[in-house]
Amino acid sequence: MVNVVWMQGATDNGCLVSFLNAQQPDVYQAIEKLGVTISYQNTINPTSGKDVIATLEKYIAGDEQLDVLIVEGAIPRGPNGTGMACFIGPRSFAQWISELAPKAQYVLAVGTCAAFGNIPAAEPNPTDATGVQWHKTEFGGFLGKDFRSKAGLPVINISGCPAHPDWVVQTLVAVLLGKNVELDKYNRPKDFFGEEITVHDGCPRNEYYAFKVAAEKFGDRGCLYMNLGCRGPHTNSDCNRRLWNRQSSLTRCGIPCHGCTNPDFPEGSMPFFQRRRLVVEGWKVVPYIIGSGFMKLAKPSRLKNE
Amino acid sequence: MAELDLSPITRIEGHLDFKINVENGKVTDAKAIGALFRGFEIILKGRDPLDALVITPRICGVCPTSHNDASARALDDALNASIPENGYLMRSILLGVENLMSHAAHTYVLFGPDLANKKYEKHDAYPELVKRFAPLTGTSYKGAVLTRIKLDEIFAIFGGKHPHTTFIPGGAPVRPQLSDITKALSIFMQVQDFLENVTLGCSIERWLENKSIKDVQKWLEEDEKHANSDLGLFIRLGPELGLHKLGPGPGNFLSYGVYAQADGKNWLPAGFYDGKHHSLDQSKIEEHIKYSWYTGYEGGRHPMDGITEPYYEEGEKYTWAKCPRYDGKPAEVGPLARMIIDKDPLVLDLAKEYGPCVYTRVLARLHEAVRLAAKIKEWLLELDPAKPFFGSYERPSNAEGIGLTEAARGALGHWVRIRNGKIDNYQVITPTAWNVSPKDSNDVHGPIEQAVIGTPVEDENNPIEVQHVIRSYDPCIACTVHVITPRRSYRLKVV
Repeated sequence: MVNVVWMQGATDNGCLVSFLNAQQPDVYQAIEKLGVTISYQNTINPTSGKDVIATLEKYIAGDEQLDVLIVEGAIPRGPNGTGMACFIGPRSFAQWISELAPKAQYVLAVGTCAAFGNIPAAEPNPTDATGVQWHKTEFGGFLGKDFRSKAGLPVINISGCPAHPDWVVQTLVAVLLGKNVELDKYNRPKDFFGEEITVHDGCPRNEYYAFKVAAEKFGDRGCLYMNLGCRGPHTNSDCNRRLWNRQSSLTRCGIPCHGCTNPDFPEGSMPFFQRRRLVVEGWKVVPYIIGSGFMKLAKPSRLKNE
Repeated sequence: MAELDLSPITRIEGHLDFKINVENGKVTDAKAIGALFRGFEIILKGRDPLDALVITPRICGVCPTSHNDASARALDDALNASIPENGYLMRSILLGVENLMSHAAHTYVLFGPDLANKKYEKHDAYPELVKRFAPLTGTSYKGAVLTRIKLDEIFAIFGGKHPHTTFIPGGAPVRPQLSDITKALSIFMQVQDFLENVTLGCSIERWLENKSIKDVQKWLEEDEKHANSDLGLFIRLGPELGLHKLGPGPGNFLSYGVYAQADGKNWLPAGFYDGKHHSLDQSKIEEHIKYSWYTGYEGGRHPMDGITEPYYEEGEKYTWAKCPRYDGKPAEVGPLARMIIDKDPLVLDLAKEYGPCVYTRVLARLHEAVRLAAKIKEWLLELDPAKPFFGSYERPSNAEGIGLTEAARGALGHWVRIRNGKIDNYQVITPTAWNVSPKDSNDVHGPIEQAVIGTPVEDENNPIEVQHVIRSYDPCIACTVHVITPRRSYRLKVV
């Protein structure tokens, strides 16, 4: 049996909603075949009030082993250091996490809020919110650089707004099978967020990108990068390879990627719909511009915006 | 007198704490406590107006599409958008699919498990209730969880992913092909299977023939499948479990109207009902903060001039939720309000017979879900892939816009003011802010508080009656306490 506690802080619940879309395994298979017991998850919990508090206190006291602590949502430390911008019963959310995290074999920060702070931590950060072990691109966050869960690992970050259910479930399965999950420089599983993977990969607009056919306005067929602010080439995640809800992705539906898995989301992507011409920096700008000119000339006539 | 602390309330969306006083087996006072403040729209101040399209849906991952719709409509208004018919249809389909999904999740995952509560273990139907509605293991619960996934698939065909697509002013960014539409219709048939075989025991069309309680009685007797369906079982057992006597609330109802059409009307209309039907006048909306952890003004303020200055203290104030009022009155929002304002004959008959209560509220939600399912299919068939989905919008430097719509759980409004091409003020009032609001400046309780006061509590260790009432409103706290861009510079008071 594997005990999982899923705590929600400054979150919109989107990562839980996304998680419920998991298939292979779906939530039922995870419970039945992998022996997962979800000891507390607010949205689906059978009981309320005292029972919830007692369950959580049991793990804090060490009366039962906490195998996996999933944190969804940023951790507000405000107002004025009280943490009371978010509370669950008698304790602030921050207090719960500081007591539960050291008891867990593994800690997973699910979603960009828990991983890096996301919108709650965006300037001017009114509640002094932060990620579980990162604050945007800086290592440390709420638990600090030295934190290691009982299994000796830092917090595993599964970013995304929301996180894709596969990213969460496959990481859980790997961890439960005792596999070594390789992490990237932001402590995210390389399988999903590695440097060589971008949202650009697998985007059906790639040919438009190659020949520099830019969508001028919404609804055009062209590449969303140049005029509509797509962050695809600058965002490490496999959205266009894996697809969402087994169907599609934002760019496939004419919506630019907003870069929601990035540690600097949302500020790093704003304004979201800005014009951006250059994918590269430094001396590479020159060959890029020259190459783009040639590619425009070489454009096949079937590539049209309309 | 016993003060019961029911915190945290689970099986709702987000952080709600709740405290009640119980005297002689009855609730005498209630405090609904919004337990999360993110202060999140603040970052919109000074930003590009289009940024609101991406930021505001992330107020709520359960009903993000209602924020998509409200933000797009506020900007349609501010940026003089022109929207082709396909654009309206596409927004209605995406919002409708999400609202249907929310209703299914609420019925089976959030509310349903309470029917398997031990309070009812002496009832003959108890084994059946447990078999169907017990959390995770219930047969209908499981069916609903897996059917929900199908609705999200339909959503993703047109919206890219769920949760968190992005709407735009001027229509929809997607260009679906005919095969996308037929795929959506095919997946929809799987959803229809669950709705017809498990929830209703009959076709969608047959259920929609029911226009009165008398019709429903006839429907129950007509076929065993009807009586034994989840809805049939609930209709029969609700009064036996006493659900028709719980949670009346203030008796005022508000709807902003939703599913905008190209003809300028909404499929479900806007209005206010306080015993009489009134047309909606959004200038009558105000927010109070006497009992909320904010400061900066007294009485009420219209959202276009709203101020949000957090002020946390332990004293009279008790929640992070603000307190919206319509014409100075608390108002219930949600499916019951929408159906009453739409003058739906069946729901009006139910409200006349039982009044607003847990039973009527749940039935209104299910009835709306069935109507919505039928409508989504119509909208899908009306899409014309040969015609445009996006029209146009302008970029004025100074403008104001109002975006009113309905989430599954009720009225949602966005108010935006643009100055020099940037956001000057962005204000959101969510549905749950209406329902879960605290006392106002005149010390009148909010709808859920009013509904809970007077509720009998049989067993103080299992106050399930109170939980029925709270959950019947489908509160979504992720939404309630959010952002709000103050017009003056933002600061947190040192208390």
